[in-house]
Amino acid sequence: MIRFYKNRNIYFAISALVMIIGIICIFINGVRFSIQFSGGAILKYSYDGEINIDDVAKLSSDVLNRITDAQQTEDIATKSKKVVLNLSGNSGLSAQEQEVLNQALLEKFPSNNLKLAESNIVEPFIGKTFLVNSAIAILISAVMIVIYVGIQFKKISGISAGIAALVALFHDILVSFFIFVIFRIPLNDSFVAVVLTIIGFSVNDTIVIYDRIRENRTLFPKMGVEELVDHSITQSMSRSINTTVATVIATLILYIFAQIYDIESIKQFALPMTFGLISGSYSTICIAGPVWVMWQKSKERKRRTI
Amino acid sequence: MRKSVFAIIILLIFAITYVAVFGIHIGDSETGFNIKGASEIRFGIDIRGGGEAIYEAKDLNRKPTDKELKNAKIIMETRLDAKNILDREVTIDKINGQILIRFPWKTGESEFNPQKAIAELGETARLTFRDPDGNILVEGKNVKESKVQYYEKDNSPIVTLVFDAEGAKLFAAATEKFKGQTISIYMDETLISAPGVKEAITSGEAIITNIKSADEAVALSGKINAGSLPFSLISKNHSTISPTVGEGALDVMVKAGLIAFALICVFMIVYYRLMGFVACFGLLLQLAIQLLSLSIPQITLTLPGIAGMILSLGMGVDANVIISERVKEEMKLGKSLGAAIDTGYHRAFSAVFDGNITSMIVAVVLMVLGSGAMKSFGYTLLIGTALNFLCGVTVSKHMMRSFSFIKFFRNNIFYGIKKGGATL
Repeated sequence: MIRFYKNRNIYFAISALVMIIGIICIFINGVRFSIQFSGGAILKYSYDGEINIDDVAKLSSDVLNRITDAQQTEDIATKSKKVVLNLSGNSGLSAQEQEVLNQALLEKFPSNNLKLAESNIVEPFIGKTFLVNSAIAILISAVMIVIYVGIQFKKISGISAGIAALVALFHDILVSFFIFVIFRIPLNDSFVAVVLTIIGFSVNDTIVIYDRIRENRTLFPKMGVEELVDHSITQSMSRSINTTVATVIATLILYIFAQIYDIESIKQFALPMTFGLISGSYSTICIAGPVWVMWQKSKERKRRTI
Repeated sequence: MRKSVFAIIILLIFAITYVAVFGIHIGDSETGFNIKGASEIRFGIDIRGGGEAIYEAKDLNRKPTDKELKNAKIIMETRLDAKNILDREVTIDKINGQILIRFPWKTGESEFNPQKAIAELGETARLTFRDPDGNILVEGKNVKESKVQYYEKDNSPIVTLVFDAEGAKLFAAATEKFKGQTISIYMDETLISAPGVKEAITSGEAIITNIKSADEAVALSGKINAGSLPFSLISKNHSTISPTVGEGALDVMVKAGLIAFALICVFMIVYYRLMGFVACFGLLLQLAIQLLSLSIPQITLTLPGIAGMILSLGMGVDANVIISERVKEEMKLGKSLGAAIDTGYHRAFSAVFDGNITSMIVAVVLMVLGSGAMKSFGYTLLIGTALNFLCGVTVSKHMMRSFSFIKFFRNNIFYGIKKGGATL
């Protein structure tokens, strides 16, 4: 049996370290919101041959009267090149204005076969609505989970179990959030998808352990909480590892492919997801279990003092 | 008989997978028996490319009324029809007074210019009544109202038109001049109706007869009303994805998915032997039904939707891992294979149940509260977690039970357990 509870301070220290690194990175890298949340305009054009990126930026700045930042990307698999135009400010851009820019670009660079590959134009208030809606959906999901766990795990004092699960969940959401910050991925709708997926996995993971604790409590009613939790986690250890290995295989492969083919949307999804999965498995074993034991022990102490 | 259950299940799984991938097409594509396959899944514009735009009224200092929004929607639908973009979604957001449009890339067209299309779709509609030579007689702004009514005698649908004073005058002159000929009604440059003039109409109230169905009458009347919309629409909120970018994303997903699936199968079989083998078939069945749940009702699959599929498949793997671990534990306690399977599945069920129900709760919250992309995630997650019970638990249990009746498969080597009970 592994003494998870006894070693809890080591695990808490590891998590705290990760959090501190994350917070430091927030100061260094800053939290970037994608235009899906903040509003703004990004246009991607594919092109052939050679093109002077600064000229493209200048033309766009002149035509639209908005300072434009241009970047170049190239994907490894197909060697196709793109120029990414990022317009300053958070306001959208009307389709008419965009069409004017389109014509101007075609005129100025006729031999480069410029083609609009992707455009993303969001008004700030719509981005805000999206952010608020996502936050509400995540919050309501979290509350429902605590209620469900509270009812289903009454035998192991449900609400405390639910809240310990939530602490682990919050841990995992923070880790995925820090991955976005560390890798300078702007928070976008894939962040919402990742958070939702991690919520699903993390809670599922925690519930599997709780299920074992619930069962063992019936089997060994005399066992103390500390031993009970350590015993249950040890029993389901190989399951925790194997499930994480299997799912991480899947997201890692997805990430590798997205990297090779330079598919931004999938990269931004697969990388934080991989870390979130590992964190989900870790937090269940090293955070949710020990936190629940601490809660139970403090309850016992109070009972004794009264 | 019990021994052959696993073979029957495997055959069934192969059959369902075949249908999910290739579909069934018997007879005519319209009237015949058809089940759509994986290639006929409706992909969201983030996968197949296309445009998405949110329109608002331009220079209007009040919120557009429900009726105006409905009319604006009709204009856009007519224009999309004219561009032959049929597979689109146009939705009204009454609360914010907006119109949302999603349209895919037109197949086989490389010069399609989506931002131009987005700009054009919002322009003020121009409804005109024209003579046989194409000269404009009356304009849409002179139409006060159009309604659908039913002819008393045979209950056939008719569309009524009421002109304002100026319109009535112009229309009277026009019908006088073109009696016995047709006056065509155009929205922009699209002909929407060409009624014949039976007599000169001076009252400013006309009716159009000879309409095939009530639906057609409603559409025509709607288009005529839409022609008098007092504002144009502008979109400062739109995104487009070219089909090459979209196809690339799908291609990567499919390739990565196949390889990940194969690797997970190898992992499961190496670690759990026969139970891993059974798990792979359970996962295959889950994936196949999941595809059918998208292709048959033609639910749009977006990239977040695929994320939902990955999550539910991951939970499917987890269900199998939990069960296999449990069965192994029971076998190590010295139980017979049959007994170990029964208790193992029984003990593992509560964990699988609670884990999947919580995910289903999240899925339902997303389907109710989420916006477009999150809805797709919620749908695939809900279906996937529900399938975990069928594929991960019921089907795999029947297969394992069937194997346990065959003497050959009772050897511990098939379960990764040494004689003494220790793990290999």
